[in-house]
Amino acid sequence: MSDTDARLHLHHASDHAPGDEPVSGHEIAEGLLGYIVGLFLAALITAVAFFLVGTSLVWQPSIPVALLVLAVAQMGVHLVFFLHITTGPDNYNNVLALAFGVLIVGLIIVGSMWIMTNMNHNMMPMNMMHM
Amino acid sequence: MLGKLTWADIPLDQPIPLIAGVGAFSIVGLVVIYVLLKGWGPYLWREWITSVDHKHIGVMYVFLAAVMLLRGFVDAIMMRSQQALAFQAPGYLPPDHYDQIFAAHGTLMIFFVAMAFVIGLINIVVPLQLGVRDVAFPTLNSVSFWLTATGALLINISLVVGEFSHVGWLPFPPLSELRYSPGVGMDYYLWSLQISGVGTLLTGVNFVTTILKLHAPGMTYMRMPVFCWTAFASMLLIVAAFPVLTATLAMLLLDRYLGFHFFTNEAGGNVMMFNNLIWIWGHPEVYILVLPAFGVFSEVFSTYSGKPLFGYRSMVAATMVICILSFTVWLHHFFTMGAGADVNAVFGILSMIIAVPTGVKVFNWMFTMYGGRVRYASPMYWGIGFIVTIIIAGMTGVLLAVPPADFLLHNSLFLVAHFHNVIIGAILFGMFAGYTYWFPKAFGFRLDERLGKAAFWCWFVGFYLAFMPLYVVGLMGMTRRMQHYDNPAWYPWLLVAAAGAAVILVGIGFQIAQLVVSIRNREELRDTTGDPWDGRALEWSTSSPPPPFNFAVLPHVEGTDAYWLMKQRARERGAPEPEPAYQDIELPRNSATGFVCAFFAAILGFSLIWQIWWLAALAFVGAFATFVVFAWRDRTEYRIPAAEVARIDRENRAARRLALAQMEPAE
Ligand code: HEM
Ligand SMILES: [Cu+2]
Repeated sequence: MSDTDARLHLHHASDHAPGDEPVSGHEIAEGLLGYIVGLFLAALITAVAFFLVGTSLVWQPSIPVALLVLAVAQMGVHLVFFLHITTGPDNYNNVLALAFGVLIVGLIIVGSMWIMTNMNHNMMPMNMMHM
Repeated sequence: MLGKLTWADIPLDQPIPLIAGVGAFSIVGLVVIYVLLKGWGPYLWREWITSVDHKHIGVMYVFLAAVMLLRGFVDAIMMRSQQALAFQAPGYLPPDHYDQIFAAHGTLMIFFVAMAFVIGLINIVVPLQLGVRDVAFPTLNSVSFWLTATGALLINISLVVGEFSHVGWLPFPPLSELRYSPGVGMDYYLWSLQISGVGTLLTGVNFVTTILKLHAPGMTYMRMPVFCWTAFASMLLIVAAFPVLTATLAMLLLDRYLGFHFFTNEAGGNVMMFNNLIWIWGHPEVYILVLPAFGVFSEVFSTYSGKPLFGYRSMVAATMVICILSFTVWLHHFFTMGAGADVNAVFGILSMIIAVPTGVKVFNWMFTMYGGRVRYASPMYWGIGFIVTIIIAGMTGVLLAVPPADFLLHNSLFLVAHFHNVIIGAILFGMFAGYTYWFPKAFGFRLDERLGKAAFWCWFVGFYLAFMPLYVVGLMGMTRRMQHYDNPAWYPWLLVAAAGAAVILVGIGFQIAQLVVSIRNREELRDTTGDPWDGRALEWSTSSPPPPFNFAVLPHVEGTDAYWLMKQRARERGAPEPEPAYQDIELPRNSATGFVCAFFAAILGFSLIWQIWWLAALAFVGAFATFVVFAWRDRTEYRIPAAEVARIDRENRAARRLALAQMEPAE
């Protein structure tokens, strides 16, 4: 039975909510460092995004793609440095919860876009059909 | 000074709602005065209003659901009698009033009957089944309840002050926009649901955390009772879906209050987007309600068949598959809106697929009974009635999921029959089964069986009489929400439907009588052992009602059907477990936070509805201040000394030892 799967065991001594991990003295300094690095990276990505939009140094059509990549990176930074999502066994629940959230949001967004474009197309007033 | 509120808003020209409203509020007022005169005020305040004990909060939820069921049922009787009278005649309810009745009926029944009942049972049972002392965030739990009660209160105030929505249980634009619904009725609807929606979301967060994080030692996921699994799936769906509802209603509020154009016809708004968004919430909502009912039946069938649930793992898998798939079918509510053949086909097929795991469950329940020693107690009556009824509901549902068929049946009474078939046959029957099954756990005495069975028969027969005719008139082309009609072919069927509602009324009468009689005979019906049905899950291992700490020491779980295993072991040994070493137990202190928050939320909602801005600001500050005071308190727990724990537990153990002695020893 999967009862014996260690990761499924509750009361897993190290299964902590993010930010709720027990800390000792020097870990506080380490934790602070993590937040500072995170803040720096987040600010950097934001700055690059603004820079990209204003500059003519890069090929214009690539800018939207670049912004998309930066946005995803920004989410990654938040997840790792601020929400403390890791792949360690102590994060099993958190990673699953994140996966569930991403799945649902993905379903909602992709589904809505598909439905709404179809609907807008089919329900277009007759005189606009041929435009 | 008072915003839009004037004396003209008291509907003195409409005697029916006014008399009903004034009557209801004076009854409530008299009850309050009686309670205060009797000196029960402090007791109520201490043990119930400010309680953060999950069992008490659960009981209050169920009480709210029961009261709102009566109110929603009065609406249903009015609609049924109107349609029985309004054949080539105006009937007794003017269209404007009739619209408010079906809107209020649908809103109350879904949000304050079904939701409150489901959440109430989950509150009472889940921590006990997990073998823990409370939920993860006890005070938050109380806040959730009181916010839900606030929503219900606001809707009932609309009876006497102003009006209610005319739009139906979902506020579809453009009808719900300011131009077509300029009155406060729509705002009553929106703010009530926003406030109670916050409560529901907090409940979701609370129980997801509880089920993931709090367990008795050894209670692994795959040992949790199926009711816990279904509660978990339902709460996950709340966390994922309710923010969508809140955001959608918030956009509609922005349209109405600040002149935005999310869903207007003009200025770039998109009416269809509202349909899309509301059903992204709406379909999962169906499963939020029905999954816990499936959970109740899983407990009931295995207990009264004296067998472990057949196919435990397939039951868990089916539950979680439904949980995910319920987010992939929402378009079946608006096939007719013009998305085109590809989209309709995909969502039609997905809707049929989601029926498969439900079918798996039906077979599991039947195989659980097969070969068991079935005891026909009244929860089993609800259970077998449910299996018969849900099969019909499932078949008409799959029929509606065929897009070409839906083009004929959309918004007809066939649809109304279908969803009542699910809502009454599965959700309500499930809640009644759970109510009967867990009543002794919550109150320490059983409910009268004879009256319970009489109530079942009335509900069962009444349901078929009231709703099978609606399938027929729906197929004949009768649309929903009709205040009057001229087609003679429909008339006899609608008379039968009215008779069905009357039979259900008798059933409700039996349920009230059952409660009264059982309270009167509580000494004969007393559950002394804590395990009146020879149960299998941990809630039956503690006394009825359980002590404030639920378990003197957290039980050790060694498999599914944890308490059954313990009993078996005790029988083999010929003696219960040796007495454990008792320790002090810390429990969360009562808190008025929930009640005070809800007090301010009620004022906030009322003043936003009537646009009394200064009062809204004041109420908001009040609610925030309550929260700050709560966050800064420094005594959060009280301690029950080990000696007291031992005294309470020894009584429970003595009762169990007696019960064990009466049982035949294990072969
Ligand atoms: C107890 C017996 C019940 C009866 C006799 C009853 C009867 C009715 C009737 C006559 C309608 C209006 C149909 C029409 O549009 O012409 C209606 C609508 C509705 N009912 Fe019930 N009902 C009952 C229970 C419930 C329950 C338990 C729920 C939910 C938990 C519920 C939810 C709804 C909803 C959502 C609507 C749609 C309202 C709308 O049109 O916007 N009903 N019901
Ligand atoms: Cu649906």
